[in-house]
Amino acid sequence: MKKLTLYLALIMLMGFLTVGCTDLEEEVYSQLPMDSYGTTASEVNSLVAPIYTRLRDFNCVGSPAPKENCTDMSVTPTRRGGDWWDGGAYKEMTLGMWRPQTSAAINIYNTSYSRITNFNQIIYLIENSPAITDKVPYLSQVRAARAQRYIELIDCYGNVPLVTDFTDLTKPSTKTRAEVYNWVLSELNDIKDVIRSDVSASSYGKFTKGSVYFMLAKMYLNAEVWNPAGGPKWQECIDACDVIMSLPYSLEVNWKDQFSANNENSKEAILVAVNSISSSFPARGYTLHYLDPKALGLPGSANNGICAMTDYVKSFDPDDKRYLGSFLIGPMLDPATGLVIKTAHGRDLNHYVDITIKYAIDADGWGQVEQEDGARCNKWEYKKGATAMENDCAIYRLADVYLMKAECLVRLGTDNVEATRLVNELRKRAFTDPAKLKTSVTLDDIRLERRFELAWENWGRQDMIRFGTFLNPIPGWRTLPLPEFRLLFPIPQTAIDANPNLTQNPGY
Amino acid sequence: MTQKLAFVVSNLFKLKSSRPVLRLTTLLLLFGTTLLLSSAVMAEDQQRSVTGRIVDNTGQALPGVNILEKGTINGAISDVDGKFTLNVASSSSVLVFSFVGYTTQEVTVGTQTTINVTLGESATALNEIVVVGYGTQQKRAISGSVSNVTEKNFNAGITRTAADFIQGKVAGLTITTSTGDVTAEQSMRLRGTSSLTGSSEPFVVIDGVPGLSLNSVAPQDIESISVLKDASAAAIYGSRSASGVILITTKKGVQNRTTVDYNVYGAIDIVSNKPDVLTAAEYRKWASDNSVDISVFDKGANTSWFDEIMRTGITQNHDLSISGAGTNNSYRVSVSYLDQEGVVMDNYQKRLNTRFSVNQKALKDRLDLNISGGLNQRDYQATTTYNFVLAYNVVPTIPVKYEDGTWWDSDEYDQGNPVRNMTYNQAPRKTGQLFVNGKATLKILNGLTAGVNFYKERSSYDAGNYSDSRTRQGRASNGTASRSSSTGDKNLLETTINYSRRFDRHDLNLLGGYSYEDYKDQSAFAQNRYFVTNLFGFNNLGAGEQLLTGDVSSGASMNKLISFFGRVNYSFADRYIISAAVRRDGSSKFGPNNKWGTFPSVSAAWRIIDEPFMESITGVVDELKLRVGYGVSGNQSGLAPYQSLALYGTSGLYWDNGAWHTAYAVSQNPNPDLKWESTSMFNVGLDFSLFDARINGTIEYYNKLTTDLLYNYPVPVPPYLYSTIAANVGSMENKGLELTLSGDILRKSNLRWTMTVNAAHNENKIVSLSNEEFTTSVIKTGSAWVRGGSTNTTHIIQEGYQVGQFFGPECLGIDDDGKYIINDMIDGIAGFTVADYTYIGKAQPLLTYGISNNISYKNLELSFFIRGVLGNDVLNFSKMSYANLQWLPGANVLSTALTMGLKQSPFYNSFYIEDGSFARLDNLTLAYSLLPKDMLGISRIRFYATTHNLITLTKYKGVDPEVSMSGLDPGIEGREYYPKSRSYILGVNVTF
Repeated sequence: MKKLTLYLALIMLMGFLTVGCTDLEEEVYSQLPMDSYGTTASEVNSLVAPIYTRLRDFNCVGSPAPKENCTDMSVTPTRRGGDWWDGGAYKEMTLGMWRPQTSAAINIYNTSYSRITNFNQIIYLIENSPAITDKVPYLSQVRAARAQRYIELIDCYGNVPLVTDFTDLTKPSTKTRAEVYNWVLSELNDIKDVIRSDVSASSYGKFTKGSVYFMLAKMYLNAEVWNPAGGPKWQECIDACDVIMSLPYSLEVNWKDQFSANNENSKEAILVAVNSISSSFPARGYTLHYLDPKALGLPGSANNGICAMTDYVKSFDPDDKRYLGSFLIGPMLDPATGLVIKTAHGRDLNHYVDITIKYAIDADGWGQVEQEDGARCNKWEYKKGATAMENDCAIYRLADVYLMKAECLVRLGTDNVEATRLVNELRKRAFTDPAKLKTSVTLDDIRLERRFELAWENWGRQDMIRFGTFLNPIPGWRTLPLPEFRLLFPIPQTAIDANPNLTQNPGY
Repeated sequence: MTQKLAFVVSNLFKLKSSRPVLRLTTLLLLFGTTLLLSSAVMAEDQQRSVTGRIVDNTGQALPGVNILEKGTINGAISDVDGKFTLNVASSSSVLVFSFVGYTTQEVTVGTQTTINVTLGESATALNEIVVVGYGTQQKRAISGSVSNVTEKNFNAGITRTAADFIQGKVAGLTITTSTGDVTAEQSMRLRGTSSLTGSSEPFVVIDGVPGLSLNSVAPQDIESISVLKDASAAAIYGSRSASGVILITTKKGVQNRTTVDYNVYGAIDIVSNKPDVLTAAEYRKWASDNSVDISVFDKGANTSWFDEIMRTGITQNHDLSISGAGTNNSYRVSVSYLDQEGVVMDNYQKRLNTRFSVNQKALKDRLDLNISGGLNQRDYQATTTYNFVLAYNVVPTIPVKYEDGTWWDSDEYDQGNPVRNMTYNQAPRKTGQLFVNGKATLKILNGLTAGVNFYKERSSYDAGNYSDSRTRQGRASNGTASRSSSTGDKNLLETTINYSRRFDRHDLNLLGGYSYEDYKDQSAFAQNRYFVTNLFGFNNLGAGEQLLTGDVSSGASMNKLISFFGRVNYSFADRYIISAAVRRDGSSKFGPNNKWGTFPSVSAAWRIIDEPFMESITGVVDELKLRVGYGVSGNQSGLAPYQSLALYGTSGLYWDNGAWHTAYAVSQNPNPDLKWESTSMFNVGLDFSLFDARINGTIEYYNKLTTDLLYNYPVPVPPYLYSTIAANVGSMENKGLELTLSGDILRKSNLRWTMTVNAAHNENKIVSLSNEEFTTSVIKTGSAWVRGGSTNTTHIIQEGYQVGQFFGPECLGIDDDGKYIINDMIDGIAGFTVADYTYIGKAQPLLTYGISNNISYKNLELSFFIRGVLGNDVLNFSKMSYANLQWLPGANVLSTALTMGLKQSPFYNSFYIEDGSFARLDNLTLAYSLLPKDMLGISRIRFYATTHNLITLTKYKGVDPEVSMSGLDPGIEGREYYPKSRSYILGVNVTF
């Protein structure tokens, strides 16, 4: 009997253990469940912040620099031995052969929508957050960030889906370029006068009234291309520029200062991607030769990618401070010996402006060039000894506003004196010789001035399309004019595969 | 007397009553995974003592034989001299003698007080006790597909983990050694790949504790390894068993005498095949032949960079175990130490395993308690494989060091001094594991037992990295140091209840159980750079001068698994066997809409040999058993915790009014429907034994279909936040045939040659990649990156094709101009475009095989083992990367570049796909055993010599055709491939 009791006790113990727990909730430790974070203002701030961390998408001279590599301004040539061939991706960009699979031609689409869906979620969060009573300051910034992405899409792809609701999971269909254009215009008009307008240390790196008017100016400047039915909007562009110029921005006296490693708080910058050593400006790694860092006193190596096209570099006046201020040209010396560095092909590391296709030439005339060929980007300061570039990148800056206004004035034919004055404001700091100033400006002067002032700043494609030069042949590279459908990039094949409601742009 | 006994024994054996056998099975189930260890007295009257000695056919004592009084749990185990003592209830008691690998015998005690037994080796191994999920079974009673490898069949030589023991031994279990790195774990695939995301590695259970790593048990402690191959055997492990289950049983103490076992071996490793790059002479000749000025590169040296970074690896291993047992208890304690050097300078591992196990009976033998535990630690450093790239690329006329003692080095692309890197950079790892395992089984009533299994483990990982400022890796940052560490805690509690009963000719066994398992992991990471001195290494991170965002981080995660399971085994007349099991698994990792999954299985076996109509051919056919099984098992290894949830994660820093702050963003597309992958498998097998058990074998056919394949499927952005979502979508099929044949080629009294051949054919096919919600046409995967070719992929995952399908341009040869002749008519249109990419090879072999041979003559034993694959393709990536004249003279090339004539930039195409079939003489061992009569109490000394990887026959032109078969891009000898070594081992095993 005693035994039996003992056994029963043991059985009960096991039974107790058996009942155990059946709770399968996941405990989260180093991430935050969406439903329990974002209730206080500071938490909301941190959730709005991706609109700023993502501004680094606009850093210049990245890879593959789609908005410049498709123009006559820059090229990523295949180097002797095959570096940067990458399945022909860069050849396709330069020769105007890009396809719905070409990474360089489609990555803006993918990045833009990835950000737009993120920003839609932030908008949804703000709208539904009881913690935020004054929603306008938050919403206006996020809507500005979202509008900026849609402008990219209008510019590059034209006809794209318009998605504004985070909760709607239906697969969207394509809207016309005009529809998206008009929506963006109304968004910008909605927020332009409610968004913060200060130009201060606390607004540095933020979307402000200046940024919104800058976007409006670009919208109007390109209205004829983006929304032909609405006709040109030159005067509206001038009005937007005037608003910006009425804000406390000012041109840097010394042109190069705004590109220095410690260029924060430059008053010329309107919208800035703020970089740091940990999240750095990528230019150096892409453009410099493997051994350039040695000559420039920089630690590490680089990847020998993008360089400037020959004729473009040669179009600069050598007296223009923006010439050597934009391009790294000539022999690279070993600081220890004072001798020219040798490449792995036993050649001098001398950055010639000329880029000569020498090896493995294919039927399209593409081939390999020497490792050292081509002028490199030299616009943002390479600070000696710095592991990475912490230079901030001005996505929108005041010089562009001067040029936009000047262009509209010339196009309208209303005030060439003012247009000339605006252009000369920029040329004054570019040249020491006053003789280089203009007495009057033509539309072509404006076109060229934009290329001198805004080298490497990703405006090349948009400007060339507006000036009607984008489809032209590029001597030494493209022999025939491009067909008109190439004014738009293709919708990525992967996007169409994933969403059959999308329509491919004509011609692709 | 002997004759008479033999007569009695053989007559008894003819009865073939398996009642005691099933009793035994039941008992073994109850007592976990071990053999019953002590004797006990249950009867009250007529008690008598029996003693005896057990020997094998050669008269050698058999220790460890299990002696059981039939129908009771009263038993004993023979000691080192084969002797035993057992008190039995009465003269009608029947003793059952059983031992792994030998024929079970039954003897009625009668008036005898001494019973000596000769156990014959069981060629059919029918009475082998095989460990199955949550219990043991006699091989003859198994209806699922289970392969069992015991100690005597283990591979000899250097064994890092259990995988080395059984590599090539089990049909359908492919164990691949994909690199020569001594720290790398072998990859295991049972019956093909069945997942796109998760691991297809079999699930490992050690001594009944599920979900452990092979590293957590020292090879010397392993007694047997069971492989549960089909779903009917494996599904009792539910949502983690779809890739098969490997059950490992460790050794336990044996009765009456303390046994000390010491095993020591030393080995040297020499690289078996290294890349054939140009020597300095060949390089200079090329330059003069082609009038190339190499003055910049020719520093007058004659350097073989591979020789400079390689060495002869020295290995030593010591295993010591002490075991023993009393009447009510037993113990075993072991220590094992392995110190192994790789053939590359920076590669080593040192491993210490200790384990103890104590068994105690209580409550008049109704309660069996076992506590075991151990400490494992490993110190190791994997090779930094980028240094192989440098060894390939740096020209041979450059010295490692100049005459003045300074190092040569370079910052050019893929150039630099690999010797300097290996000399100064450090990346050591330390892992530790502490565990304790308690088991209790209680016999409640006759046939009814309850068990508890409790396990607690803490594992730690600590990694240090230092990139010295003098090396290429550390130069840019003036030294970078990092430390990372993590701690994992695993808790397990299982309770089982078991009922076993025989009524007349019906045999019934019921099992029910509950299991709770949780796992928590926490980790931390820190790094710093810009060190004034290299002296600290990674030991003083605070001394660095440039701490950046992201340099400090930590994290934690948990997951939990709760299960209920049950099984019924029923057999009628021992001829008709049926088994059904079900497991219900709930996992915290599954989405809220799919928290619980059910995994059923059923199998049946028909022992045809026991049918009356078979009697006439006994002697020709000795065993014939047909098995059929079907089951559903799961795989959740591809599921990381929290994937089903909507979460914010940190998203970099943003600048706000002069300061940096942390941003948060949604980190993934949540999928509340997320769940396990489900594999349903049908298996049919035939076990046979012919001509007096001279030939034994098994043929099996299986067909498995895995559905709900986990993958990060592409979704449109917008509306989704991210372009992929983890979801259960596609399906995949594996069909195959396996054959195992073993037989005695020679069977003389002193000389015996046993050969075992196993062969397996598996056909893998993607059935679908889409469902109503998600559509994927193809997945292009695997990087075909060669300098200047970043956008290419090597493999395609597509409906109707295998995982491992090579996809790319088809090359018909190289033309006179040194250009590839590419077939540009695949799409029917002249001109080479991506539309001309086609199916250019298959990484999965048609046949995988192993041939073991064991020849014994008196005390001398010779064994050799050949394994290989047939009908597979390997991508010779090194040739693609380095056999290219374009890089000369600035970089070195493979010698074959001079003859193959390629002058254009290399890119991925079928030119580099080669036949990967190989046959390898993987193991050759000669052993000699001494059985000294009276030498300091030593009972046995065994000397052995082994070589590993002695000869490889293959048409493959690269370094080694045996390459990684993991992931979605198997079959590539990468550009950073670590060459394998050939080992020569000498060892001694002493028992006293």
